Amino acid sequence: MFAMPVDTKRIQGPEVSVPYDQFLAQQSQQSNEEAIGKERIDGRKSDELREIFLKTAVLSQAKGSAYIEMNNTKVICSVFDPREIPRKSEFSVNGELFCEFKYAPFSCRRKRGHQQDSEEKEMSAYLKRALEPAVCRHEFPNLQVDVYALVLENDGSALAAAITCAGLALADASIPMFDLVVAVQMGISITGKKFLDPTLEEEAYCFTLSGSDEKGSFGRVTAAFLPSLEQFSQVVQDGSMVTETYVEVLKELAHASKDAYRLSQECLLKAVQTSKEIKNAEQKN
Amino acid sequence: MAGFDLLSDQGLRLDGRRSNELRKIQCKLGVFSQPDGSSYLEQGNTKVLAAVYGPHEIRGSRAKRLLDQVLVNCQYSMATFSTGERKRRPRGDRKSQEMSSHLRQTFEAAIKTELYPRSQIDIFVEVLQADGGNYSACVNAATLALVDAGIPLHEYVTSCTTVLAPPPATSWDDEKLEEGEIALVDASHREETSGSPTLTVAALADSGRLVLCQVGQRLHLDRMNRALERALQGCKDVRDVLDEAVRDHLANCGISEAASS
Amino acid sequence: MALKLLSDAEKVFILHGVKDDFRCDGRTRQEYRPIEVETEIVSNASGSARVRLANTDILVGVKTEIDTPSPTKPNEGKLEFFVDCSANATPAFEGRGGEELATEISNTLSKAYLCETVFDLQSLCILPGQQCWKLYVDILILECGGNLFDGVSLAVKSAIYNTKVPRIASATIDGGVVDLQLSDDPYDFQTLDVSSAPVLVTLTKIGERCVVDPTAEEEACSLVSVVLAVTEKGRCVTTLVRGEGSLHEDTLIDMLKVGTSLGIEMNKALKAALKLEQSKGENKERFGFLK
Repeated sequence: MFAMPVDTKRIQGPEVSVPYDQFLAQQSQQSNEEAIGKERIDGRKSDELREIFLKTAVLSQAKGSAYIEMNNTKVICSVFDPREIPRKSEFSVNGELFCEFKYAPFSCRRKRGHQQDSEEKEMSAYLKRALEPAVCRHEFPNLQVDVYALVLENDGSALAAAITCAGLALADASIPMFDLVVAVQMGISITGKKFLDPTLEEEAYCFTLSGSDEKGSFGRVTAAFLPSLEQFSQVVQDGSMVTETYVEVLKELAHASKDAYRLSQECLLKAVQTSKEIKNAEQKN
Repeated sequence: MAGFDLLSDQGLRLDGRRSNELRKIQCKLGVFSQPDGSSYLEQGNTKVLAAVYGPHEIRGSRAKRLLDQVLVNCQYSMATFSTGERKRRPRGDRKSQEMSSHLRQTFEAAIKTELYPRSQIDIFVEVLQADGGNYSACVNAATLALVDAGIPLHEYVTSCTTVLAPPPATSWDDEKLEEGEIALVDASHREETSGSPTLTVAALADSGRLVLCQVGQRLHLDRMNRALERALQGCKDVRDVLDEAVRDHLANCGISEAASS
Repeated sequence: MALKLLSDAEKVFILHGVKDDFRCDGRTRQEYRPIEVETEIVSNASGSARVRLANTDILVGVKTEIDTPSPTKPNEGKLEFFVDCSANATPAFEGRGGEELATEISNTLSKAYLCETVFDLQSLCILPGQQCWKLYVDILILECGGNLFDGVSLAVKSAIYNTKVPRIASATIDGGVVDLQLSDDPYDFQTLDVSSAPVLVTLTKIGERCVVDPTAEEEACSLVSVVLAVTEKGRCVTTLVRGEGSLHEDTLIDMLKVGTSLGIEMNKALKAALKLEQSKGENKERFGFLK
């Protein structure tokens, strides 16, 4: 594994700091919770995704790159050419994916550090496992492809956005793949309300019991899906769910990811068409 | 100096032992099936696990291999919950590294290294509970693991820690008082940390050859002999216990396997 | 993970065994190997347990320390998991070799114990916003014979069950300085409620079927496995998909159902075993590693 040396020159800021918003009046928080409990603040239906903007080839330095915007959740991904695996002596039949998931320091309520923290490392592992089954790793034995996902702004479903975006970036980098990868998150609150593609507030709401006893299911599930192969490549879940609800959620996620899949395909198609047009125009000149 | 007496007026230690008495040693060979040799050893409240892998091909860089003898690779590690206060890291700190290199020195002397050129033997010890004499317990456990792995040794290598305790202020036996400091064999944690000089010895017990000798605190040269003699005697006593355990294990290992199958 | 070298023929043999519901050691697909649990192994820890699951050997020690609660959760104590893959298990774990696996296990455990319905962190609070207990759950992996996650979770649950937190005789704040008085009586302690703590159930996909409690050899034949954290009430609190493969929707749903039902049974069996051991009190036989 490749780890950056610690940058000691950089000013790290205070070691421990607390975001101010938890000292805000409790009332406003409660009323906020009540509002979420009734209907979604942005007016979506419970099974409606946010509007998604996708664009490939946004970075000139990387071999492939993609950008995703789901309202306020914004992630940018870059993929680099296969290169030799650092510090490895034995031969590996399958190529390797190196994934790095990072929240930009300004992306969340609280300031994020420059180094990857343990949560980001965990996310990197999920990202890696979500992408691995989709990539034809036997095509580049003994080599490693680097994937970097940077969350520019986190307003919920950041991991799902990063997986979808990284899938597109891999395709943009012309890495051979079995299928595109798309991921969608769903939250379910203790009151039994479902939130597809939850915002940050909704995410938090789905993980609080808010005084009620544990009868219903609640929690959040992020599923990465390979739509044309109909395979789940990664499922990340928390909260507390009975099997029936969990199965229901998974089915809905599989269904929803088909919508996201169409968007990814369209985006790639458009990218190919534009590059073709540019080439044609060049030839005419 | 210590805030409490290491020896009572009757010449008994804090845990009730006499000065030349070892703690109870309980041990077992072959506790795990995956390593080539393994052992578990309890010396009073100090509990140690040892595993031996090898001899096998050199792992990692081939530059490490030795052309005329086997490479002995040791790792000393302590469970984070083994000490009174929680340890932050099980290994990698300076003390563990020092322990690892001491173990390597000890076993390079004990193993017939010339038999396996260009190969490697791994000895891993894990302290589960630390109550003094950690190094000694590790050496004893690793010796058993090496025997279990069937690696040829020159002879048993055993280790013992002694502490030179100041004599009790009053004693029923005035002669003892005049002798000065008394060497306590197989020191416990409280005796080790009392601030009195300690002497750790690893020796090939049968021939009485020293392999490792380490002094902590100031030890007057005049007292050296006394402590060393005690420690060597301790090593010999430990050797007898280990030998019995090995014989017991060999006598029973076929039987228990036959019974279980 | 300890890599087992298997030839193709051996893999095919295992694969066929799984297909015919008759595995190499005679088990069916949904059968566990014998499990041994013993608590109170390490006297330096507040609670400890050792689990031996056939060849897999895990030792867990819990230590309690006093800490200040985090400002975002002033009413809660802290729980920290630390996994150490001992080189005793396999030489590949030497130095920092086992770190990746160790973080994976500790992350999964902390996720599984994160939810407030699973483990009541408020019971670890001493003075809200001032002092709380911090539990260090240290897991030592001594031998890997497959199915680490399940073994670790059983050992963790047993060790927390066994943990004795000293009772606080008095806690006062004097001019901003907290003054704590612990009870002098070593038998005056509080125990922790683990009735809704989860166990992990790993389902490993081998060929077209999935098995529980795989041996190290069977793990080498599998591309993907699902780790479920299941509570006694059959609720799933964490899911982890491991390995480089992927799963069809129907397979995943099947695995969920099998995993939850097994999880309920495992929780019950563990509870019964712990109760039985506790009922023997101080006179219970102590085995440790000497058995």
